[in-house]
Amino acid sequence: MEFAATIVILTCTYALLAAGTVILYKAGRVVNFAHGELAIVGGYVFYSAGLMSGGTSLWFPVAGAVVFSIIMGMFIYMAMMRRLVGEPFYVAILVTVGIGIVLKSAILVIWRAERLTIDVGVTPAIRMAGGATLSYMDIASVVLTVAFFAGLYLFFRFTRLGVQFRGTAENALLASQRGVDVNFVLSLAWVIAILAASLSGVLYGGRAFLSTESVTIGLAGLTAALVGGLDSLRGAVAGAFIVACAQYLTVRLVDPVLSEAVPFLLLVIVMSIRPWGLFGTQEELDRV
Amino acid sequence: MSRTGYNLRTNYLESNEVIRRPYQKVLVAMVLAVAVLLPAATSTFFVHLLNLCFLSAIGALGLMLLTGFCGQISLGHAAFLAVGAFTTVILTVHVGAPFVVVIPAAAVTGAVLGFIIGLPSLRFRGVYLAIITLAMHYTVIFLATSYQANFAKSASAGITIPDPSIGPLVIKGEYTWYYFSLVLLTLVTIWCVNLIRTRPGRAWMAIRDRDIAAEALGINLTRYKLMAFMVSSTLASVSGSLLAYYSNVVTVETYTIDLAVIYVAMIIVGGMGSILGALMGAIFMTLLPFGIDGLFSYLPREWRYGSTVFGVQVGAVGICIILFLLIEPKGLAEIWRRIETYFDRWPFRYRPLDTTRH
Amino acid sequence: MEKHVSRKLFAAAILAASALAAPAASAQNAYVIGYITDLSGPLADSYTPTWQGFELYMKALNDRGGINGKKVEVILDDDGLKADRAVANAKKQTERDNVVGIFGLSLSSTQAPVFTEMRKIGVPVVTTFSGILDALPPSKPFSYSTGVVFEVAGEAIGELTKNIKPNGKIVGMTFDSVGGRAALSHNKRMAESLGYTWDEVLFPVTTSDFTPFAQAVAEKKPDIVVGHYGSGQNLGVIPALRRSGYTGPYIVASYGVTEDTVRQAAVRAGNDENVYYVTRYATIYDNNPGIAEVSAAQKKYGTSKPFSSMHLTGWTLGKFAETALKACGWPCTREQLDKVIQTLKVDAPGLTGGPIEMSPQDHYGPTYWRLYVWNPKTTSMEPKSGWLKKAALKFPLQ
Repeated sequence: MEFAATIVILTCTYALLAAGTVILYKAGRVVNFAHGELAIVGGYVFYSAGLMSGGTSLWFPVAGAVVFSIIMGMFIYMAMMRRLVGEPFYVAILVTVGIGIVLKSAILVIWRAERLTIDVGVTPAIRMAGGATLSYMDIASVVLTVAFFAGLYLFFRFTRLGVQFRGTAENALLASQRGVDVNFVLSLAWVIAILAASLSGVLYGGRAFLSTESVTIGLAGLTAALVGGLDSLRGAVAGAFIVACAQYLTVRLVDPVLSEAVPFLLLVIVMSIRPWGLFGTQEELDRV
Repeated sequence: MSRTGYNLRTNYLESNEVIRRPYQKVLVAMVLAVAVLLPAATSTFFVHLLNLCFLSAIGALGLMLLTGFCGQISLGHAAFLAVGAFTTVILTVHVGAPFVVVIPAAAVTGAVLGFIIGLPSLRFRGVYLAIITLAMHYTVIFLATSYQANFAKSASAGITIPDPSIGPLVIKGEYTWYYFSLVLLTLVTIWCVNLIRTRPGRAWMAIRDRDIAAEALGINLTRYKLMAFMVSSTLASVSGSLLAYYSNVVTVETYTIDLAVIYVAMIIVGGMGSILGALMGAIFMTLLPFGIDGLFSYLPREWRYGSTVFGVQVGAVGICIILFLLIEPKGLAEIWRRIETYFDRWPFRYRPLDTTRH
Repeated sequence: MEKHVSRKLFAAAILAASALAAPAASAQNAYVIGYITDLSGPLADSYTPTWQGFELYMKALNDRGGINGKKVEVILDDDGLKADRAVANAKKQTERDNVVGIFGLSLSSTQAPVFTEMRKIGVPVVTTFSGILDALPPSKPFSYSTGVVFEVAGEAIGELTKNIKPNGKIVGMTFDSVGGRAALSHNKRMAESLGYTWDEVLFPVTTSDFTPFAQAVAEKKPDIVVGHYGSGQNLGVIPALRRSGYTGPYIVASYGVTEDTVRQAAVRAGNDENVYYVTRYATIYDNNPGIAEVSAAQKKYGTSKPFSSMHLTGWTLGKFAETALKACGWPCTREQLDKVIQTLKVDAPGLTGGPIEMSPQDHYGPTYWRLYVWNPKTTSMEPKSGWLKKAALKFPLQ
């Protein structure tokens, strides 16, 4: 019971990150190495907005995180990514590395490198046998993640914008010739990805802590996305689940110290069998 | 040969020329002369920084061969440096081996690990390969940490290694190291230039441009990919060993994933697919944080000691990288090429032909 | 537009290059000392307040008129927790700023190379907060520490555990670093020699969720858990342990852990009375004139970080520097400074359990450690033991 709950919550954190990675990859063939930083800064923004409103209402910090995602997503796409069309893919990757460094410095300058925890609903809600507990936050994280993925599904499946989005992902040139505002769609991809990242940052800040060190969760998200297939949202969830399981089982059954390397080793195994990931498409292999 | 045609090659022999412009000989001689005389004109601190540039340039050259010429992306360069450093530790501390034995040993260890890491490259490419090299990074660091923690009963301090000596000559102090690393870097650079002019280099470039086509041309992919990994990791390992000797202390905390990213940044900022780019990128990325330090040192002291300024400095490094890539994605080597072309064509100002990079 | 940007960048590059290459002379009418620490790296949260404590002391000192009428000028540089930057800045400070000694420094990974380089030129280096074995007997020349050496801390924590429970099972936790493993092995050694049973759980440096590790710990059914790591991990581990059903005593080792962190962690752990804190320097909750003095200076000059025991650590190092420079006289040379530090005795009443005493054989001296417990009712910490003296140790211990 305890272990199942832990794996599910870990899966949620990773799945949100992996979903962002997948959306960005699908939209612009960009692999974002600043995703962990974006998540953590999103968490910081949430915290500060909560502090500003006096910690009374939950709407204010949520609005803060949403505004952050919109501004950040628009800015990253319009000011940087749009200019890199046609350059080799590693240039865009290194730009995201640069964005990561700048975001880290923002944590140093704006939040003075302070380690923070987001204390929303940390009181135990369910007490399990053996004394282990689940907090309201833990339950909320599962509910929110499911809601996010459901929303994403409905958006891509049934809305006009969602269809445009899929069209752009398929072939940006054709889409733009058919009157799709490609720039808008791609900025939107960044906004959604950062929104998902921020949500996972908030959940992470509730369960662990926010600091310049915690940006490494981005790597776990990337691994999950690769295991599941870089161009598949379903794969993101599956990948997140597999990585979470692998980490958890390594800690409990093998050696805790190895839990850092195991997801990568797992990746090697998955890729030896299916190089394009569990749910990915084979054609994507040649693109990055 | 017309003066406008330096970037255009009309036969295969020409593409083998290292020096194409008549003044390049003079230029290379001048750069070397300045490099030889520089220590007399500047401070020990700056010589120290240059030493770091030169030694890390050896590693950057290795990565450039792998990524810039063979097209295989690696995030495992910090691990290769660690392998060199820890080979040095094991051989000097446990065996007491001299410098002339340690460096070849580091090279061999690096090559062996490069071979192992090269194996996945036969199946994976691009970002996928990069992530797999990350796995290797964590594994190597785990082993190194275990070794360091168990090496002495208490080794939180790092492991000290003595100054190296070749025969009677002890390499010690910034100035001796400066000339030593300058000579070494020059030799390695010449070797790399020759390597890419000959069969392996040609094969690598073919693999980078289109591996399926390369295979159709009869290039043995397995062989040349593995070779690229081995050459690259050998150079990185030697560079790690030299850096360890230079600082006299080895501790595993130095070899972070950030370091691997910095090496990747070196070759991208320098300009992919250019030996000169690797050198310029290594110098640029090594000096950048110190240069920004230098710029900020003009601020009033009261101001600067407020704790946020150092955070701003970190951000400045990131902004430099981003701006650089947005303005000049082809790197420093491309800027240099434009300057050369400008002088080639002077006094005319028409746009240079955009030819393939060599 | 792009052309202008590149021109500006070029101008900036020239400016930066000139700042790097040009030797700058500093006015020699003051004692010039260097301070290098991590102000922008992963541990900036812990090292910045230490620097601020040092700066507070120096500001107060210079306002008092300095030493023998000479002010003390501190050159501050950042190492970002990177060894190459720490070494380069140390070289810059010794050459260009002509400092007589270097203070501060961050984690062991930056200390070892700086000690080594400065030994070559003969510049005394005094570290704080975390220290390494170079300073311990057999002490290496020019290397001193007033800080927390992981090995010694492990021993002290092992001994202070007696004040919580006389026997039972201790589970030590750390992240997989050289320092963490060193602390753990000495904690184990001491605990086993005192009749405890020992078990340990290590986790990787870049751990993202502590719950699985906490569950592994809880499953071992410990009587006491000890955490050998800095602030952030404590914030993550303590609530995770409580979530996993472990409600027993937990010891926070003060490797740069501020009182505020302990408060946050204790609150998240459900405000129980089982969070302990072992420290070499006093906590700000102690009520004595020594702490009142630092607190007054903090109010007067202000610091960006909340007042914490890290400020006390830096302040003590400031006092150490003042005593050394005073004994060194004017003009003070590096050799002279090193000579006086070798026999220096600095008393910081209220801030430490006893004086910091250097000797030519021992550049660390005896240290004093104390166990505190978090009291959720008064939201402060109370001492749970007297000051435990750890005499000079010789490593590796047999």
